[in-house]
Amino acid sequence: MKRKSKEPVKSPLVWIVFVAVFAAINPWYFPAGSFEPLIWGVPYWAWIILAASLALSVFVTWVVCCQWDMGADEDSSHDPGYSHGHDREEG
Amino acid sequence: MESVELAFGGTSGIVVLLAYGGLMLAVGLITFLRNRNIHESLDEYYLGGRGLGVMVLFFTFFATQYSGNTVVGYPPTAYRIGYQYLVSVPFFIMIIAVYLFFAPRLYALGRRFSLLTPVDWIDIRFKSKAVTILAATLMLYALGNYLLEQFVAIGQGVSGLTGGTIPYQVGVVFFIVIMVAYSWLGGMRSVAYTDTIQGIALLFGVFMLLVGSIMYFGGPSAAAEVMRTQAPEKLGAPDTGGLAHWFSLLALVGIGAAVYPHAVQRIFSARSEATLKRSFIRMAYMPFITAGVVFLVGIIGIAAFPGLTTGESEQLVGRIANALALEHPVFYWAMILLFGGVIAAIVSTADSVLLTFSSIVSNDLYGRYVDPQAEEHRKILVGKLVGLVAVVVLVIIAWYPPSTLYQIFVLKFELLIQAAPALVLGLYWSRLNSRAVFIGMLAGTLLASTMTFAGWKPLGVFSGLWGLSLNVAVCVIGSLLVGVSRDEHEHAVEVIGEY
Repeated sequence: MKRKSKEPVKSPLVWIVFVAVFAAINPWYFPAGSFEPLIWGVPYWAWIILAASLALSVFVTWVVCCQWDMGADEDSSHDPGYSHGHDREEG
Repeated sequence: MESVELAFGGTSGIVVLLAYGGLMLAVGLITFLRNRNIHESLDEYYLGGRGLGVMVLFFTFFATQYSGNTVVGYPPTAYRIGYQYLVSVPFFIMIIAVYLFFAPRLYALGRRFSLLTPVDWIDIRFKSKAVTILAATLMLYALGNYLLEQFVAIGQGVSGLTGGTIPYQVGVVFFIVIMVAYSWLGGMRSVAYTDTIQGIALLFGVFMLLVGSIMYFGGPSAAAEVMRTQAPEKLGAPDTGGLAHWFSLLALVGIGAAVYPHAVQRIFSARSEATLKRSFIRMAYMPFITAGVVFLVGIIGIAAFPGLTTGESEQLVGRIANALALEHPVFYWAMILLFGGVIAAIVSTADSVLLTFSSIVSNDLYGRYVDPQAEEHRKILVGKLVGLVAVVVLVIIAWYPPSTLYQIFVLKFELLIQAAPALVLGLYWSRLNSRAVFIGMLAGTLLASTMTFAGWKPLGVFSGLWGLSLNVAVCVIGSLLVGVSRDEHEHAVEVIGEY
């Protein structure tokens, strides 16, 4: 029986956003060695990386809140054939 | 190795360490008294009865990721390579992001099959002795390495904090005895409760370290001026080599730390899906106030102590703490608490690792292959004793410690990451062939180890990732070429097909 569930890994949108954010947290899009302007002593590119990192945290929040609902707790009765120990050898 | 004498350490340091030790023992004892049946059930002992709530779960995840190393070892790296080490912030978030791609299903399966360890999952999924034993061996080896690293750090931290009054070896033995005692008394529960106390102490200390550094050494602007004149490359965006390093750290740490056996085990111990979800959301924002703060301390160090050699820079946090302690009594005490917190954090990482180590021995090796009929009480006892033997062996190795911690850190990831395809691909792909998984895991391990020992790092990418690529390729191509038997496929569908 298939049960209704929402799993992040099955959502193309999750993958697309993840790839985009992952690309943003890698500093490949800055000229090597550049650091001006400095804002409060921190190079401009570091601020952008921090902003992208925050985007990754927001991504995590979004996925957890909106894309993850396996209903795992509704079925708390454990599968009888798979309890610990020797039972499993036969299971 | 040169060490910095901490002027503020000495007796106060000893008092704080004794207080931490006493507190941890008390937690173990109380947990033991409140949960007398803990030693009769693997679930109770190793997973806290699958009942950890949001806060405790959060802090115990926190403790598995952030060790004392994060505080003591990261600022020197930031000091040496400058802003290119800012990668330490996104890489801790990456760990949580990577969880999202397998934890939801793994948690659900953990509930359904009462999974106790990651090896437990691999065993149910593949029903292959070879795969199970290889995965268990890799994990035990990596966990052992990890534990060794923590022991060395405990010893260095204790002798540093007390200005050498307590020698390295005494510090190691003292804290290991305490750690083993409270872990044995309360299992996962006391490990998770002490993680919570240790996490709070560490957060407070790190925060004070940053405040003090900015007050007395002038913040990032002063550091930027020094870098601009002396080492502009520390300010600049990374070049191709720096990018490859950045990328491979994100990928290696993201995947590697997410499949850490003790981290995976924490997924199983969550009270509910909602609890696990809330803990993950909190974890996603922590890197800014942990890794971010620690990174900044390293950057400020560039202005505070310019021109340190690599060896000298390893003592950077000690130097900064020392300077702050001499400035003001508030910082004197805050720095003592910080170092106590650092040591506590190392202990809290070590205890989680040790518990998982024992659980793999109890459940996956002894309970599955040596004496499946044994009472759970006996399985727990065997896990504890083998864990103790491992601890003794590691203490002997740690007696004369290697000089830098960073190299060992990479070594354990390289091996651990090889269990990822079995763990994660197995969750989703019912046509994954168990023999291909075994050969892939073995080939990846051999390649990664050989490359590590030979010091090869083609394109600047870590050897663990090369091993992982080979591993995944063998798994996928092997499975596509050979396919799976009807029985194997039916079994896989039965296990994972429901989702």
